[in-house]
This record gives sequence, C-alpha cells and structure tokens, in this order.
Amino acid sequence: MMTYISCFFLGGFILSMVAVACNPSPFYGSFGLVAVAGFGCAVVVGSGGTFLALILVMIYVGAMLVVFVYSAALAADRYPESWGSGGVAGQAMGYLLGVMVASGFFWKEEYGVLWGFGGSVEELAPQRGDIGGVSWMYSLGGPLLVISAGALLLTLFVVFEVTRLLHRGAFR
Amino acid sequence: MTPPHFAFSATFILALTGLVFTRTHLLSALLCLEGMMSLFVALSLWALQLDITSFLASPLLLLAFSACEASTGLALLAATARTHGSDRLQSLNLLQC
Repeated sequence: MMTYISCFFLGGFILSMVAVACNPSPFYGSFGLVAVAGFGCAVVVGSGGTFLALILVMIYVGAMLVVFVYSAALAADRYPESWGSGGVAGQAMGYLLGVMVASGFFWKEEYGVLWGFGGSVEELAPQRGDIGGVSWMYSLGGPLLVISAGALLLTLFVVFEVTRLLHRGAFR
Repeated sequence: MTPPHFAFSATFILALTGLVFTRTHLLSALLCLEGMMSLFVALSLWALQLDITSFLASPLLLLAFSACEASTGLALLAATARTHGSDRLQSLNLLQC
C-alpha cells in the first residue's frame, strides 16, 4: 500500500516537471513548480524526513516561488499563451515519451528491495531521524555555517550591483 | 535503478532539457533552473534511506545556495526588463551578426 502511494507521488513529481519544462508562459510554469515541490515534499515525508520536507515547502514554495510569482507579474504579457498554442502540446508529448522510454530501460524491479520507508524507530530518542542529522550542521558544521552566511552576504551585494540599486535607486 | 532514483534523475534531466529548449521568456528558463529541487529530494533520500544522519545537512545547504542563485537570476531578469523593455529572448540580440 505504501509502495503504491509512493509511486503515485513519484509519478506526480515527474509529470509536474514535464509541465514546468514545456510551459507556455511563466504563470503556468510557477504553478507546475509548486506541484513539483508538493510531490517532492510527499516523497521525502514517505522516507521519514518530515523536517526536511517542511523546510522544502516553507523555503522553496513559501519564499522563493512567491518571489518568482511577483517577478512573473512584473515581466508579464498582456495576453499570455495557453496550453494549446504553438507546439506546447507536442513538446509535452515528446517529454512524456522520453520519460517512458527511459523508464523502460531503467525501471527494473528485480533488484530486490525497492526502497525503505524509514522513520519508524522503536525507542523515542530526543534526536531521531532527520532532526538529529540537521543538528550536526550547527554543532560540528559551525565554520561551514559562517562561510555560507558570508556567501549569502556576497550574493546580496551581487544583486545590488546587477540591478544598480545602490547607484540610482529603485526607479529609473 | 530504484524508482525514487529514477524519478529524481528524470526530473533533473527534464528540467535541464526545459532550460535548453526555452522559447520565449527568460523567466521560463529561470523556472526550469529551479528544478534543482530534485537534487534536494535526491540528497535527502540518500541520507534518509541509508541511515547516514550526518549527511542530512547537505539538502539544507543546497537550499540556501539555490536561493542565492534564484535571487541572482531574478536580478538579471529585472536588469533585462529595465534595459530591453521585456524579458523576451528575441530582444536579446546584441550579439547577432
């Protein structure tokens, strides 16, 4: 039963990415990316990583995709293309055909155990599963966090320079 | 290849293919670059299924740097919309001979 549910989420993951790859307009692409994040979150939860799935949904969908949607509103067409225009349906069919051909080659079920649905430990330790793993980043990975914070600060200044925000402000 | 392994590999290659064959908008290419979310799923499944809990910090770091890359891409999009008027790829023809 769990295998069927996980296969459903994996299939939804791939199909949503097909929709993102051949999007006729950024509006539909953003929606497809939300679906990809939802299905990916479900796949990670099925393997026992509840904290990581929560982080994925909060940061990817809640922060980054919101910024993408605002940018899509900024650089928007007045009459956006829809799914039936151009060669979008043909492109989607091509991608689906490619995925099915590849799955015919690679998806083999005679390799023993398919995957493990982890996350069920007998005793209730204070650090179980992925929360205990993430806490390593703060204890032993402290210098790595400092360097990553420096890299994020550098990215902030890169964005300032690319958009020339500090030279002439936000408006032309 | 186990089904999750195939799923995130196919998703990653689909995102790259969508990036390569972008037709009209620069923002569509940036959205396909966000398909590195499949790498987040890949790293977290790797650490979770093999019970290597110390590798569970790598998806979070990937997420942080993916946010950096998305913000830089959107800054380039804003600069393109400012100078060229829109983000359509036909208007980026300065190098066309």
